[in-house]
Amino acid sequence: MMDEPENTDPLKSYFDAGKAARPEPGDALMARIMADADRVQAERAAMPAPVRPQRRRGRLAWLAAALGGWPAMAGLAAATVAGLWIGVSAPAGLTGIAQELIAGGDEAYLIDLDPDATFVLADGGL
Amino acid sequence: MPLDEQRSAPDEALLVLYANGDAVAARVLTARLVPRVLAQAQRLLGNRAEAEDVAQEAMLRLWRIAPEWRQGEAKITTWLYRVTANMCTDRLRKARGMGLDEAPEPEDERPGPAEGLQERARADALQDALDRLPDRQREAVILRHIEELGNPEIAEIMEISVEAVESLVARGKRALAAELSARRDDLGYTDDG
Repeated sequence: MMDEPENTDPLKSYFDAGKAARPEPGDALMARIMADADRVQAERAAMPAPVRPQRRRGRLAWLAAALGGWPAMAGLAAATVAGLWIGVSAPAGLTGIAQELIAGGDEAYLIDLDPDATFVLADGGL
Repeated sequence: MPLDEQRSAPDEALLVLYANGDAVAARVLTARLVPRVLAQAQRLLGNRAEAEDVAQEAMLRLWRIAPEWRQGEAKITTWLYRVTANMCTDRLRKARGMGLDEAPEPEDERPGPAEGLQERARADALQDALDRLPDRQREAVILRHIEELGNPEIAEIMEISVEAVESLVARGKRALAAELSARRDDLGYTDDG
C-alpha cells in the first residue's frame, strides 16, 4: 500500500471533517426518488408479459419428435447407412450363406426342444 | 417481506423484491443508498442542486435495471458509485465545455459552535481542494478516504487496476496536501485536530 499510516497523514483531519460534513438528503429528494420507484414499478406491472414467439416446427422436426427425438433419429440414420452399405458392398461369403438359407439344403436338422420329444416322435406326434 | 426483515436484507435481495412488485423494498433501498449517492455526487460536483439531480437520475437507472439485475456479478453500491461518477464526469465536462466552471458553493445549513465552525472550515477547504484535482484523482481520493472503500472495490468502480487506484490516490493526496497547506497558511488555523 502506498498510503501513509493514518496517524501521520497530514490530511486526516480534513478527511475526518469531510466525513462529518456528509450531506444528508432532504425529504423532498427522498420523496422524488421514491415516486420514481413507484412509477417505474407501476409501468412495469401495466406492461403485458413478454410473449415468446412460437417457432413453426418444420416437417423434419415433427418427424424427429414423432420418432422419439433427435437421438433416436441419429440411431435410425446410422442403421439405415449400415444397411445400405451391406447391400451395396456385400462380401461374397455373405451371398453364399444367403443363398444357402433361401434355397435350403438336402439335410434336415432336428432340434431337440424337449426331452420327451423322442416319445412324441415315436408316436408320430410330430 | 415485513419491513423489519427488509431492513437487514442485502441490497441485491431487496432489488429482486422491488422488481417482483414489493412495495416496501424501494423505500428501504432509497433510505440505504441515496445518502451515499448524494454524498459522492456532491463531493464530485461541489454543488448541491446538481448532486440531487444526479442522485435522482442514478436511482432511476437502478429502478429501471432492476428486472435485469444479475445476481452475484457486482454489488449494487459498486454499480451505483460507477454510474454516479460517470454522470458527474459528464456534467463537469459539459460545464467546462461551456465555460461554466464556477459552480456555486454548497450552502451551509448547519450553524454550530466555534469548534464546529473550524470543522466546517476544514470540510469546505477540503472540498475546494478536491474541486481543483483532476476528475479521476478526485474520484479515487473521495472513494478511498471519505467513503472509505478498499482499493479493490475502487478499482472495480473505476474499471482500472488496483495499482492504478493506488497511483491516483497518492497523486491526488500530494496535490491536496500542497493545496491545503497553502490555504492553511492563508486562513491561519492550526492542524492540531
